[in-house]
Amino acid sequence: MPSAPSFRVAADVGGTFTDIVAFDEASGRLVFGKTLTTPTRLVDGIVTGVDKAGTSVSLARLFLHGSTIAINTMLERSGAKTALLTTRGFRDIYEIGRINRPQAYNLFFRKHQPLIRRSLRFEVNERVGAAGQVLTALDEAQLADIARQLHELEVQAVAILFFHSYCNPAHELRAKELIEQWCPGTYVSASHEISQEYREFERTSTVAANAYIGPRIKTYLGEIQERFAREKFAGSFYVVQSNGGLFDVAQAQRECIRMLESGPAAGVIGARAVCERLDLDNAIAFDMGGTTAKAGVVLERQVLMAGNIMVGGYDEGLPIQIPLIDTQEVGTGGGSIARIEEGGGLRVGPQSAGAAPGPVCYDLGGSEPTVTDANLVLGRLSAGNFLGGEMKLNFEKARQALSSRIAEPAGISLTEAANGIIRIAATTMSNVVTRVTTERGLDAGDFAMVAYGGAGPLHASMVARELRIPKVIIPPSPGHFSAYGMLMADMRRDFVRTWFRAVDKLDFAEFESLFGVMEGEGIATLARNVPERERIRCVRAADMRYVGQEHPVEVELPASLFEARDPAALKRVFDDVHMQRYEFNAVKEPAEIVSLHSTVIGMLDKPVTSAIAALADGESRSPTPSSRRPVYFTESGDFTDTPVYDRAMLLAGHSIAGPALVEEYASTTVLLPGDRMEVSRYGDLVITIARS
Amino acid sequence: MSATVSATSTSATSTAARVDPVITEIVRNAVVAISEEMKTNLMRTAYSMVIYEAQDFTVGLFDAKGNIVSIAIGLPNFIRGMSDTIKAMLLHYASEGDNGAMAPGDVLVTNDAYVTGSHLNHITLVVPIFHEQRLVAFSACMAHWADIGGALNILTRDIYSEGLQVPILKMYAAGEINKDLLAILRMNIRIPERGMGDLHAQTAAVRTGAKRFLELIARYGAEQVLSSIAAIMDHSEAMARKQVLSIPDGEYSAESYMDDDGVDAGKRIPIRVKVTVAGDEMTIDLTEVSMQVKGFYNCGEAAGRGCCQVAFKCLTSALEKPINEGSFRPLKIILPPSRVVSATKPAPMRRWMTYPMTVVDTIFKAMAPAIPDRVIAGHHADLMTAAINGNMPGDGKLFIVYGGLIGGGWGAKYGADGSNATICINDGDTHNSPLEQVEAKYPMVVERYGLREDSGGAGRWQGGMGTEKKVRATSEWMFNAQVERVYCRPWGLVGGHPGAGNSVGVQVGDDKELRFPSGKVLGRLLKPGDAYILRSGGGGGYGSPLDRPLDIVEADLIEGYISRQKAEACYGIVFEGASSRIDRLATEAKRAKLRSLSGAIAERDNEDPLAEEAALLEAGNEQSKGLYFTEGMLFPLRCC
Repeated sequence: MPSAPSFRVAADVGGTFTDIVAFDEASGRLVFGKTLTTPTRLVDGIVTGVDKAGTSVSLARLFLHGSTIAINTMLERSGAKTALLTTRGFRDIYEIGRINRPQAYNLFFRKHQPLIRRSLRFEVNERVGAAGQVLTALDEAQLADIARQLHELEVQAVAILFFHSYCNPAHELRAKELIEQWCPGTYVSASHEISQEYREFERTSTVAANAYIGPRIKTYLGEIQERFAREKFAGSFYVVQSNGGLFDVAQAQRECIRMLESGPAAGVIGARAVCERLDLDNAIAFDMGGTTAKAGVVLERQVLMAGNIMVGGYDEGLPIQIPLIDTQEVGTGGGSIARIEEGGGLRVGPQSAGAAPGPVCYDLGGSEPTVTDANLVLGRLSAGNFLGGEMKLNFEKARQALSSRIAEPAGISLTEAANGIIRIAATTMSNVVTRVTTERGLDAGDFAMVAYGGAGPLHASMVARELRIPKVIIPPSPGHFSAYGMLMADMRRDFVRTWFRAVDKLDFAEFESLFGVMEGEGIATLARNVPERERIRCVRAADMRYVGQEHPVEVELPASLFEARDPAALKRVFDDVHMQRYEFNAVKEPAEIVSLHSTVIGMLDKPVTSAIAALADGESRSPTPSSRRPVYFTESGDFTDTPVYDRAMLLAGHSIAGPALVEEYASTTVLLPGDRMEVSRYGDLVITIARS
Repeated sequence: MSATVSATSTSATSTAARVDPVITEIVRNAVVAISEEMKTNLMRTAYSMVIYEAQDFTVGLFDAKGNIVSIAIGLPNFIRGMSDTIKAMLLHYASEGDNGAMAPGDVLVTNDAYVTGSHLNHITLVVPIFHEQRLVAFSACMAHWADIGGALNILTRDIYSEGLQVPILKMYAAGEINKDLLAILRMNIRIPERGMGDLHAQTAAVRTGAKRFLELIARYGAEQVLSSIAAIMDHSEAMARKQVLSIPDGEYSAESYMDDDGVDAGKRIPIRVKVTVAGDEMTIDLTEVSMQVKGFYNCGEAAGRGCCQVAFKCLTSALEKPINEGSFRPLKIILPPSRVVSATKPAPMRRWMTYPMTVVDTIFKAMAPAIPDRVIAGHHADLMTAAINGNMPGDGKLFIVYGGLIGGGWGAKYGADGSNATICINDGDTHNSPLEQVEAKYPMVVERYGLREDSGGAGRWQGGMGTEKKVRATSEWMFNAQVERVYCRPWGLVGGHPGAGNSVGVQVGDDKELRFPSGKVLGRLLKPGDAYILRSGGGGGYGSPLDRPLDIVEADLIEGYISRQKAEACYGIVFEGASSRIDRLATEAKRAKLRSLSGAIAERDNEDPLAEEAALLEAGNEQSKGLYFTEGMLFPLRCC
């Protein structure tokens, strides 16, 4: 007799692997599956991965999904034939962009390339002013003419961007309605549905991307639904957004762009869950994989957010203006290539050997030494025990490549070369952590670091040393951590709405009613999935600045402000935040509001992480190593005979003094000399970094 | 307290042998990260849009002699300004102790235009960094203040009318703020709260740089860090020498001109450069650049030398980081005083940035015969700004805003078309302002911001397109434009055609657009309903337009980047009757015939649609007589 659906299944589809983590509510058990991504039909990989985890789609009560498909569709330029309708006078805004040249001395610099070519960008006779007033009415006759052209051109998707639609969306709404009516089957997206913030270029780019990727993602999510229906899936299907929250699959099909950074966002949500179970307030989420390292921040149990991202990199990329978890990235990963520059400098990355040909030691044709090769030569990785022994590494090839390409030309020993590579990698990665902490007025030394991704546990302690981070936590199954994070996410809607107002002249009734509108919409959306009103939480914030300043800071608005209705109190809250963030404020200067932020959260039940087996009273706190091998450490200046532990054998309460290695299926944790590690009751490896 | 001001050993050869390549790389990453952090720090806290959006600033770290260790731009053409300012400060505080000495906790300041090489709005703050009582480095920050006093809406004729001059002083002495200086600053600038906000932001940025540099020393030791820095410079020098060595030896020269200095209308200003390459060294000689001028288009020696270094860096180490002094060691610069790019007191300097851009472009032009695949055709070479000021319709408060910054066309180069709508070479990561924000903040409505079709110079690779922006006033305000390169259009290379020149227009109500004999329009009062129009030039083309593949010309026609008229006149295209289809056979025949006529391309050029533009300009000349210099039409500003 088939059992009742009791699993919550999370699937994180990446470029190389599809990771599955499932939680069985009946037994309180977490199960894991990893399988190669199947690019032609991604849903096949998901179903295989779920089976590999020892469960099945039919047993799932809840399916949570994150995928790189949105970002890949943009980067590969494999989206739909898309047109843009925009305000008269501005069809080139998308191409002109912000006119900047980040590579200031590069005469061969290439600026961003729009997703929609010029001949498919149409100007519409209409104009709304900055206060929302209609300056020119929408010319519906002209729109009808454009619709005919769209039909003839066989356009599949239409993006609409009209000026100041964030304060008056009437023209965008009407145009969308008419285009949907006249061009049935076309995917139509209006800018205010995705972003209600000013900045016409960024909003254009955002709505254009949404329309461009829309048809493909709508189909993709539809395929999963169909396949799951055949597999007798009867649960709810939610998709992870870049803000770390979940939304319903139907909404995901309309607002695809919100899936953009679902994997990295889920990792930071997972880090927050680790903070909760270990009773930590602040943590840096550090994710290192094959090609990049990423960092995000949990501050007082809240995940820090950003307002936009450049897809394709800062220099040449396209901006997407949506609320998302603030993660910074650097091109350093296990596959990063080390090389000697002309003139003798030793560089690591950003070029990567990727998965193919991969590091030299994979023996798949790679010839340039990588960070992974350096780890192997230093004894940190095991040639025989990589991926649980599924993949043998070629030590000799790695050694030769490092000797001939790095050590000899630089005039240093092989060990110095290999150790130099991982030291350089650690400092580069520490700089990316700095970008999310010190550059936001935070001191990395006040944070713990939750490290995950295949390569995170190998390097985390070195990165932590660079930044005087006192504690590093390696959660269980660090290679599946983003999928795990999805299980810990809530339903969420974020609204940001540009609303320029002087604080001293603030009309609280209007102020509050605007929040009311956003909250009402959020609650109505979430009510389908979270009907209990007591599970819904609303958070209000505003972007504020001193009059004359350009860059606003986000200020959370406590409920008491709306009871007191006192502009001076609001000003004081802002002054305090400004002081905290920038170490100065200007109490006598007037302030203004730029945008309102409303977050509506529908809290879901989370898996209760169960404790792992613990040491019995009187048992030794020191576990028995499964093997020993020589490993090089800077701290000891030589290869040291180092114990190696099998993570699966560790019990809660175990304690290990560095140097040591802890191996598990897809990663290895390095414990440096002087550091000490304890196993938490949930199986986290909690490393206390020695004070240098 | 007294501290030793002594330069550390930078003797490269003696230190290089002891340098650890791993630490060197770590230090290299660190100094880049520190300067980037200073930049972010400044941008996030700055008040002025000029700093935040336009990124009119430069921050960096310097060695104990004032040489560049790492700078984060900001403003690429300010590459020398801070280093030369620090060197002047070293000299100032070394002289006989009259000025005291630099000490820990000091923050030095100046805006001396002849030291920074630029204008008085550029306030430079410098922190001398001490380690165990020894001066080891400097952290510095230049940022553009929206106002520094001085006269608005006129063509200044000397430095005294351009605002407050701050000599080399201590803004903070051993951690104590200089209250007297603060009071003087507050009294002399319009909108002092902005200036004070920017001062805070700059102070925080330079102190952050100093703090991080000392942390680096604490981690790796002073000697390791300083010898790594020496090694980084040596490495950059070696890379640059290798690049110069690959350029054929010889003497290369080129000439261009500026429209005029704003005073002597129509009198062209010659820009002549001579570049000599011998082995692994390059010499740029600016002796033949025009003597300094009466109008405010001069800049100081730091900027003159800066533009040589900018050109040199573009040609030899464009992407190399950190930007450091080592890269420039193979470059010698000959620049006697009193040239328009080495002006001496009391020359007016307010538009310091304009001429050096054309100097840079002209250096590329000179080098084209030697390294045709590494240079670029001429670009629009102007910031394309409109200085606007007035009183807000509601509360009457004074506002000052930079309209414009519209970007323009860049030159084509071997292998690629020029970049469309991109900021000129003086600036780097400079952004235009979101129009929705401009409309929300100021009494104006933008009617159009788009590409200027046909403005890119024709060529095998086409020059980038300029832009056009039309802005209508919704209340009274003053409009000033100081746009150059209206006549000296961005030139093509290797047979490519020139792009369109820059231009400025004003429309009174719905009347016909008024055109001006140059791009210089000062103190023009716009009433509600009046509009200004800025048009930036296109880039020059590269290679013969007759060699541009037909598929690409066809795509440009479909996308509307070029007109049918331009395709016929410049690209030798023959259409199938009145249709928009290219008659390929007839086109090839026409192109063959044109190729056989020597000088045909130059003749074709006269027929291109830009000729019409030139005619318009001439018409405007007549129409707007008496409107040229309108200094008398001063608008009564009320400061609130």
